[in-house]
Amino acid sequence: MQSQMANVNIDDAILVERCRKGDSNAMERLVLRYQNRIYNVILKICANTDDAAELTQETFVKVIESIEKFEGRSSFYTWAFRIAVNLTLNYCKRNVKLGFRSLDADESSHDSSDKKQLREFLSDESSPDPAAVAQNKELCDIAIRALMKLDDPQRAVVILRDVEGMSYAQIAEVLDVELGTVRSRLSRARSNLREILEAILQ
Amino acid sequence: MKINPDIDELLNSFIDGELTTRQKTEVQRLITNDTEVRQRLRQLKKSKLLVGSLPFAEAPPDIFEQVTTSLERRNLLAEQPSSYEEYAGARHLFVRKVLAAAAMIGLFAVLGIIVYSIIAPETAPESFVAVRDPDNGKEPTPAIAFAGFNGRLELKTNAFIEIDSSISKAIKKNPLLDYRSLERSSNTSRYNLTCSPRGLGMLLADLNNIWQRFDSATLFVETEEFGQRIVIDEVTTRQIAEVASRETVEDSLQVAKDFAFLNNMNERLQAKDVFAALDTATTHFTIPMPVLLKDENAADRPAPDENQGTVSLVIVVTAGK
Repeated sequence: MQSQMANVNIDDAILVERCRKGDSNAMERLVLRYQNRIYNVILKICANTDDAAELTQETFVKVIESIEKFEGRSSFYTWAFRIAVNLTLNYCKRNVKLGFRSLDADESSHDSSDKKQLREFLSDESSPDPAAVAQNKELCDIAIRALMKLDDPQRAVVILRDVEGMSYAQIAEVLDVELGTVRSRLSRARSNLREILEAILQ
Repeated sequence: MKINPDIDELLNSFIDGELTTRQKTEVQRLITNDTEVRQRLRQLKKSKLLVGSLPFAEAPPDIFEQVTTSLERRNLLAEQPSSYEEYAGARHLFVRKVLAAAAMIGLFAVLGIIVYSIIAPETAPESFVAVRDPDNGKEPTPAIAFAGFNGRLELKTNAFIEIDSSISKAIKKNPLLDYRSLERSSNTSRYNLTCSPRGLGMLLADLNNIWQRFDSATLFVETEEFGQRIVIDEVTTRQIAEVASRETVEDSLQVAKDFAFLNNMNERLQAKDVFAALDTATTHFTIPMPVLLKDENAADRPAPDENQGTVSLVIVVTAGK
């Protein structure tokens, strides 16, 4: 697995170098390689498909425009995600200021069926299967709404870890924070998420 | 169940595999022994599972095309010439900056002139005479370049015969003076002197001892170049030395003007302490005696130094006030 990652990094470095020389094929390969993962993370943070598409596009425009400044001190992967997350968090801040929210996370919109499924999921006795949860549309909607109730930095850290699967060190690089901050923020985020989910059942 | 944030952090790191082996062993022991911790671990795992199970969303297929289009549009906009308004704004800003800079330079220039006009008379000129410091006996410093001086010194005294005799002796014993002529009547003596700056320094040092006995001392500074004549009333030996020792004619004139102004103001105010405040050094001033650098005597007077300018001074001593 490690050698596979190393190969990916080497490829990234070569593509970045070609991209700097104006190779449009290299540019395309970089975009295609990361567009889905970046879009997925952005969508989970902002919860709006149109905005996520636009932010993904803006991320790659910025990546290509500033690729000359990329010094290679971090990997291209974390650097690109840093741009994406910063753009998305700025977008979230603007929306909060303007009073917009892409998704209304009001628990009153949950019907009794949703609540029943959530209760089963949260019960101490249950041991849910991840594949089954992914297939459960109601539960996923509840999860998205609960995520949107977290504050932006907590949501970003939990999505980078649990959705994108980044290590704490990578998250610290992407968010430009200390490792300890990642640890405590992630812990609070999961704890808050649990409280939000339990509040839905009340 | 009471939530302990530290335990939560440990449990989350345990779930994510971010603990060291030792920490992992401790957490495992904690989980085995504490049911509440075990329950909390299950809760946190479910939070992680729920978020991690969200379906993966794929980006729209035309992202790269959109990125390319966006980049082309931006490049196109960057190549567009700036509008007239942008140029006008930039020009306006530039003009304002230039005007502000010019105003600042002007202000500093005016301030500089004012400051110089105030402090210039106070500035001690570099000595034009090679002198020995009587206190430490150091070797004389070399004389500086000198432009030349042309003036007339009018002295009035009640003790005409005695003072005139002293002046005559001082001139005759000075080996560096080129004593051209003397016109003498019963109450006036006129000495036409040509000398090097060093010679003038020696003469002024001698005259300084009898200066208090003059009822008036007036220096007329004349220059052919500028056709100007500046009159310094109540001039002192130090002031004569300073005016005559300047490196340039312009400097010499400026210093003369300053002294003329100061002395005139002092005379008008009739307040001795004003002058004393402005020129305290005058009261304690003693011209250091020059030291001959070579064996020179009256019989073998050296020619004026051609490298330095020449002092042409007419001293007119008159009897009465």
